[in-house]
Parts: sequence; C-alpha cells; structure tokens
Amino acid sequence: MPVIFTVDPRSGIPIYLQIVEQVKRSVALGLLAPGEQLPTVKQLALDLTVNPNTVARAYRDLEHDAVIETASGRGSFVRANGSADAASIAAGRDVARGEIDSAVRTAKSLGLGRDAVTDLFDNALDRWLPEES
Amino acid sequence: MTALSIAGLRKNYGGVTAVDGIDLDIPQGCVFGLLGPNGAGKSTTFKCVLGLIRASAGRVLFAGAPISPVAFERIAYVPECSVLYDWMSVREHIGYMQSSFSGFDPKRARELLAQLGVGDENKRVRALSKGMRTATAVALAFARRVDLLLLDEPTSGLDPVNQRTVLNLIINEAAQGTTVVFSSHQIGQVERAAERIAVMQRGRIVLDGVVDDLKAGRKIVEGILPSDDFSLNGFSSDARIGRLERNGRIVRAFVTDRPDEVAAQMSALGAQGLRVVDLSLEDIFLDAVAPQAATASVVEEV
Repeated sequence: MPVIFTVDPRSGIPIYLQIVEQVKRSVALGLLAPGEQLPTVKQLALDLTVNPNTVARAYRDLEHDAVIETASGRGSFVRANGSADAASIAAGRDVARGEIDSAVRTAKSLGLGRDAVTDLFDNALDRWLPEES
Repeated sequence: MTALSIAGLRKNYGGVTAVDGIDLDIPQGCVFGLLGPNGAGKSTTFKCVLGLIRASAGRVLFAGAPISPVAFERIAYVPECSVLYDWMSVREHIGYMQSSFSGFDPKRARELLAQLGVGDENKRVRALSKGMRTATAVALAFARRVDLLLLDEPTSGLDPVNQRTVLNLIINEAAQGTTVVFSSHQIGQVERAAERIAVMQRGRIVLDGVVDDLKAGRKIVEGILPSDDFSLNGFSSDARIGRLERNGRIVRAFVTDRPDEVAAQMSALGAQGLRVVDLSLEDIFLDAVAPQAATASVVEEV
C-alpha cells in the first residue's frame, strides 16, 4: 500500500470527507491504480487512528461515486470497468468540481458578478489550458 | 440494537444536582465520546450507570436489562482515579483480575502492558508514576473480553505515544463490535475515535449527535453589514441561527442548519464579504458550553 492518507481532526471538514477527497485525488493522480486494493476498513481506521465507521462511511461514499467497488469478503478495489482511465478521470472531475465550486462561491461572496468571474476563468483557462493552435 | 440506554438519570448530592436528567441511547458497537468541562457530571454519570453510586432517579438498561452483578462479567470500567491497590504488584493485579473475571486473558494483559511500556511486573503500584498507573488500569481492562467498555479519562496523564496506543485499542475494540463509552478533555482524541458525542454541562446534555453530522451542519456565516445601525431583527429569532455576534458592521452567525441559505439571505439584505467558515469540533464544543448558546440572542460586542 504505497499511498499514505492523513487526516486532520482539527479541520472543520468531516473526517470521512477528508478520506473521500484523498482517495479521489490518489486515483486521479494514478497513485492508486484501477483494480488496486484499498486497505480494509479496520486497517485504515487503525492506520489513521479514526473510528472504523468513519472509514466505512467514506468507502460507502466512494462506492456511490463509482470510484471504488467492494466485493464481499474480498475487500475494496479501485474500479477497473470501462476504460482503464475512467475511474481516474471521474475521480479527478469530482475533486476539480469541488474546488471550482468553492472558488466561485468565494468570488460571489466578495461581490464579484457573473461577468467578472467569467473573465477570471477565461484568464485561468488561457494560462493553464491554452487552446492548441 | 441499543447497548446502553439511559433515561431520566439524575443524581442529587444534598442540595447540589450533579446529574440533571440525562437521556442517552448508545447503539451496540458504537464508540461514544463524553465531553464536558470539569465538574460537568461525566464521572458521576459513569458511576450512576454502573450502580456504584445510587442514582436519585432514572433508569439504565444494558442490552435491554437493568445492570445486575452478573452483567459485570460483560462490562469493563476504568475510573478516573486509579482503583489499583498501592501495596500490590502489577503481577498480583493480573492474578487478581484472573480470579475475578472469567473472560480475563493474562497473556493479552502482558502484551498490552509491554505495549504501553509497563515492563516490570514486580513493581508495586505505589512505585508507578501516574501515567503508568493509568496505563496499567487500561491494559487490565482491555485484557478482558467484554461487550461494553466504560473509560473515564483513559488517556489522562499518558504520554502522546501511549495516548495514541489507547485510542487504537479503542478503535480495535470497536471494529470487533464492542461498545465503548469514554470521556476525555482532549477534543482531538474524541474526534478521532468517537462516532457519536455528547457534551455535558452542569449535569445536562447540551449537545449530542454523530461527529461528522455535527461538523457538516454547523458553520459560521460571517459578513460585513452596510451600516453600523443596520437592523438584524429578522435573524434574531431564526431557528437556523444559534447565536449572532455583532461588532459594528461585522456580523458572525453561528448557524446550525443550511448555512448557504443564511448566507444568501444576508447577501440579499446587502451584506458584503460573506464567508461560510467551517467549525472544528472544538469550536462546536466551546459554542455549546458558552452561556449565550442556550437561546438565540444578539450579543453586542464592544
């Protein structure tokens, strides 16, 4: 198990969501490969020193989001169906959606309107994802 | 299934009410954290639950039945103050536990004692430091096979390594379906190990629920009002807002439900710079035991 998850109980983000987010990131970055086995609920609970039900809740969310699948008696695995990259792309999209949502919310709360936010996004897109000419 | 059911529990000492009507249902296999300031009534609650002191009123059921002497075979309790005998050695305590409880595993006790750094069994308890006494009491309790563990401050006086070991012992028990109720002053520990919590204050439960749900719902909505004399009367009786703090144009609302809606409403009134801030369990705890938290009120800060 090469991926080390960490949780910060002092953060206001529920611990199960921290685990969900980190598993998705690891899948998106390829640190967890499709078909790779995740630690058991009990093992991850002991590794992170968190309640086993917290880990179980995170795994249920990840199953619901189709990032992992659980075969009864055998454990939980990163989903491998479809194209090899499907799980990774889906997980990456989930993480990015959360970040973009929070960025737009911040911009709105600072009084920026739709046009201003669109401008900012265009700038960011030009910088990081320029169209190939 | 409910492992421990407490209803209307009350304890008066003369004119002082230490426990003032507690209701709790703790499901089987749950790790339940009891938080509260000193003197809130946590230890008295543990003792009343076990019948070690007689409750003034109320009912306690363990696995659906009142707690009888037979039930003590299936319950382990580590009190806040060590119950070890000063004049006995650690080895003698192992022998004593073995003769007292059929489910006690001396081999497991020795493993746990070694893990917690209590190496020398021949030492008398009086020669152990406070932390080592706690570690010994915890090791002896976890070496029993029980359905319910009641741990009153099981990590107090322990070094950080042993604190983590004890938390992992709790987690390991929970993974096997044992119900664990523990109290602690260290909110970070409770937050890691406990699935549900209750916060006690002056003998009452002022907040309880699933830790992750409490954190998900509770936020601070912070914003800047258009003017100093801007009226917030519309919010002072809002059920979603537990407490409203105001300092000139800056307003902070402790929201217990649907924070985004509250933020949108404030924004519609002309408030600017709105932020929805996550609360840690410590913030939630401090808010719950704050005297203003009982009712929604507008606190004018100077």
